[in-house]
Amino acid sequence: MSVITPEQVSPTATDGGKRDVWWMTWFFPAWYAVFGVIICLLTRVTPPPRPDVTAAGKVEFFAQHHLTIQIGFTLLLILLGGAAMTNGLVAYQMKRMSVGSAFAYGYLGGMSVGAIPGFLLVTVCFLTAAFRPDRNPELTSLLYDLGMLSYNGSLGCFSVAYLVLAIAILYDRNEIFPKWFAYISIWQIVTEVIATQMFVFDSGPFAWNGSISFWLAVVVFSVWLGALIVLLRRAAAAESADAPALD
Amino acid sequence: MPGDINMWVMVLGDMIIFAGYFVIFMIYRSMNRQEFLLAQQHLNIAIGVTNTVILLTSSWVVALAVQAVRAGEFEKSTRLVLAGGAGGIAFMVLKGYEWASKIAAGHTNSEMFYSFYYVITGVHLLHVLIGLIVLGVVVRELRNPAKRRPAMVETGATYWHMVDLLWVIIFALFYVMR
Amino acid sequence: MNLQSRAITWVWGLLVLITIGTGWLAPAAHTNHLAQASLPITVLVLALALIKSRLIIRYFMEVRNAPRWLGLATDGWLAALFGAVLVIYLV
Repeated sequence: MSVITPEQVSPTATDGGKRDVWWMTWFFPAWYAVFGVIICLLTRVTPPPRPDVTAAGKVEFFAQHHLTIQIGFTLLLILLGGAAMTNGLVAYQMKRMSVGSAFAYGYLGGMSVGAIPGFLLVTVCFLTAAFRPDRNPELTSLLYDLGMLSYNGSLGCFSVAYLVLAIAILYDRNEIFPKWFAYISIWQIVTEVIATQMFVFDSGPFAWNGSISFWLAVVVFSVWLGALIVLLRRAAAAESADAPALD
Repeated sequence: MPGDINMWVMVLGDMIIFAGYFVIFMIYRSMNRQEFLLAQQHLNIAIGVTNTVILLTSSWVVALAVQAVRAGEFEKSTRLVLAGGAGGIAFMVLKGYEWASKIAAGHTNSEMFYSFYYVITGVHLLHVLIGLIVLGVVVRELRNPAKRRPAMVETGATYWHMVDLLWVIIFALFYVMR
Repeated sequence: MNLQSRAITWVWGLLVLITIGTGWLAPAAHTNHLAQASLPITVLVLALALIKSRLIIRYFMEVRNAPRWLGLATDGWLAALFGAVLVIYLV
């Protein structure tokens, strides 16, 4: 089998690190960049369309973005697995911590469970809505609500994953990630607990497009994600290339 | 610097996030002044004042605990931290009672003022709970001769004082100002 | 009790005094008549809250004895937050 040899094609790893880890470390922001384009520019679910519109308004939304919704979400269906891969990378780094592997598996499990309501449900709902534009508006309205509520409101599913991540970082003696990242992960939990309010309000600051439930939470999430990308790179560089493989 | 830099990242960041909540609250308040004012009158000011005094006192003894551990008085420091934790528990109990009585009186999420009230005091309560866990860790380490160090108590204290600080502002914005 | 502890205790006493004093100004403290908005009371309450906050930061959190940037950051936060609150209230 012909293999692309590391000497010919490889990311720079001047200060150490393992090949496969480096590939995944670069994949992480690449996948999120594509994901960002899909959710923001193509499918328009971030920032979310308003909850306080009539069924006619929702039908109008699907009509307006019909093509890009179909392109974006079918693309996401194929790339879906990339999310699991990014979670796997974080779990790998967590396994290098001194606290043992249980937390890593907890993180992996928690994040994976979250992905189903997290974006698979909105993908299917919106594709279904776009599939038959002349469907009964009340049904289209249901698909809109179901998609939006699951996408934005399911954030709580990730809370436990952030919790084990925070605990693992705080107890880790190998200093894979700095302690402040544990605290940023706790902020994530707080914003996600607040996000539960969006199931109660269809307008105002706590609705799924509200200043508190959405905008503030997006800022915190961006900080968390940005920090994680930088820290993954640092962790990959800090690992010696000939360190024994993890079991 | 008191405590470690990682905790200060947490504290400063948390302060910024809460500032965001407070500003958004004020914006909605300014759009619904009369409604908010009327809603405020149903708050239980006795509990509000008591809870504020409880947290201030709890912060006081934790600050004294830091002084004690620096002087090598580990037993005294442990007792002071426990006292601080007791204050935190008392705060949570009173807050729970306060919420229950407000809900029983019909003030729920459906009123805008109360939707802010429950969310912001709720997030604060979550911070108190986390603070109790932090203080618990501090007590455990103080009791362990191999692990007791001032930096640990300072770090926990910094977090606990932040919880107190945020409450003082919540008290002013929700209970007192008009 | 050393000097620091004494200062901390004085600060605590002051904080409690201010708290109980301002409690009396709250709309919920006078339920026999309808509360009225009041600019002077609000300005006073905010000023006192600012003082309380700064006391907690400087004495309890010991920012007084911390590196300068921390003092500037916390003062900046206080100014920005209370400034914003006051401006929004006035507008």
